[in-house]
Amino acid sequence: MFALRGIAVSLTFFVLFYCLLSTLVVVAWRSLKLLHATEQRVAALLFGLRVLPLVAAVAITFAFVVPSFQLLEPRSIDEGMGAMPLVLGICALLLIACGCFRVITAQATTSRVVARWLEGARPLDAGAEMVTFRSRREAPPLTLVGVRRARVLVSDSTVALLSHEELQIALKHELAHMRSRDNLKKLIFRFCPFPGMARLESAWSQAAELAADDAAVSKLDDAVDLAAALVKLSRLIPVEAAPICTVGFVTGSISARVARLLAWDEADKVQPTRIRAWRVIPPAVAALVCVCVTYGPALALTHEVTEWLVGG
Amino acid sequence: MTKAFSIFGSGSRPHLGPFEQQVLQKLWSQGSATVRELLADGKIHQAYTTVMTTADRLYKKGLLDRVAEGRAFRYTPRHTPEELQRVTALESIRQLLGSGDASSLPLSYLVEALSSHDAQLLDELQLLVETKRRELQSRENNNKVRDAKGREQR
Repeated sequence: MFALRGIAVSLTFFVLFYCLLSTLVVVAWRSLKLLHATEQRVAALLFGLRVLPLVAAVAITFAFVVPSFQLLEPRSIDEGMGAMPLVLGICALLLIACGCFRVITAQATTSRVVARWLEGARPLDAGAEMVTFRSRREAPPLTLVGVRRARVLVSDSTVALLSHEELQIALKHELAHMRSRDNLKKLIFRFCPFPGMARLESAWSQAAELAADDAAVSKLDDAVDLAAALVKLSRLIPVEAAPICTVGFVTGSISARVARLLAWDEADKVQPTRIRAWRVIPPAVAALVCVCVTYGPALALTHEVTEWLVGG
Repeated sequence: MTKAFSIFGSGSRPHLGPFEQQVLQKLWSQGSATVRELLADGKIHQAYTTVMTTADRLYKKGLLDRVAEGRAFRYTPRHTPEELQRVTALESIRQLLGSGDASSLPLSYLVEALSSHDAQLLDELQLLVETKRRELQSRENNNKVRDAKGREQR
């Protein structure tokens, strides 16, 4: 009974924090002003915001709720359990099950579709730093597939349409997606569903495309080649919708991407700045000290809320 | 919501008269107002009763909410401009899809319109890319000529 109550209380806290934080993110993310941030940072921030409710809810549950129950709840008392933790616990289990189901179906659909695209495909020696396949004409023009073993599929039509330089820069774009593990991020989004998050995901997707463009381009010639490749491949009509765990080259607002590439200026290319240790260590130490000092009272407070929940 | 749609035609703009649009714009900018408050700044040159009738018509079309305030009503827009644009577009598409006897026909018109719009946009983008490429090539050629001249002079 003690263990069951502990699990119910932990799940209750998890689902409450998850829903509260998700609602806050849905309401507040659009008020963010990121005028001077690079697209890479914008994408990272939007991803962080999207997964914040899940990560924070898990962290709070394991850092406060579980220890407070373990340490402060007397094991000998045979308390009953109120309806609220029971209902919310079931909600949390349903949420987790729904997330798992969405991930599994996304993976299964992707595997099935990619296997079909790979039928008759042969390795393409494009000199890129990743496994590249030349797929049949019906496959999408240029796509990064897979989470653990990422591969790039280049269709016959793409090879015929693009010049060598255009193909190279398009592959660099996909390589940037692979390095930032965008397919894995999409799968994580599937795991933490919440109504109203679609727009944030769409904004992240657009930012991720622009960040991959930025990572691929190092001079104006590259930018023009990438823009040309985008326009050419946009004319190829996809036969079927791409599954979740894939990143297509022709994604997001094409006109915005082309306009941005044509206005590319070497001077604007921001070199990635290294985060200096002296800027990070003092706030981290201060935060750690704060947590240590307030941890006891926080556990006691959590236990009080737990009592109220279990009692209620 | 459905009541609001009935006033829209097949276009992307709601079928509102110019004065109705003016009153709606004013309410969007003010948030909410009574008829007297709408007339207060003197930008609307109409009689009190005309404004009152127009606001009442917008209320009956489902575009405004109202609450009694003394002997008058306080009107509030039911949708933001963006929401109104979105529902208008959605309703237009819905009307288009439901208009023909053969259900696939209106959809094919839509696909045709989108395809031609896309093709036109892509043509424009391609033109921009080619112009930029030519510009780059001519710049490169100029640099080569300048370098060659510099070498000759030396």
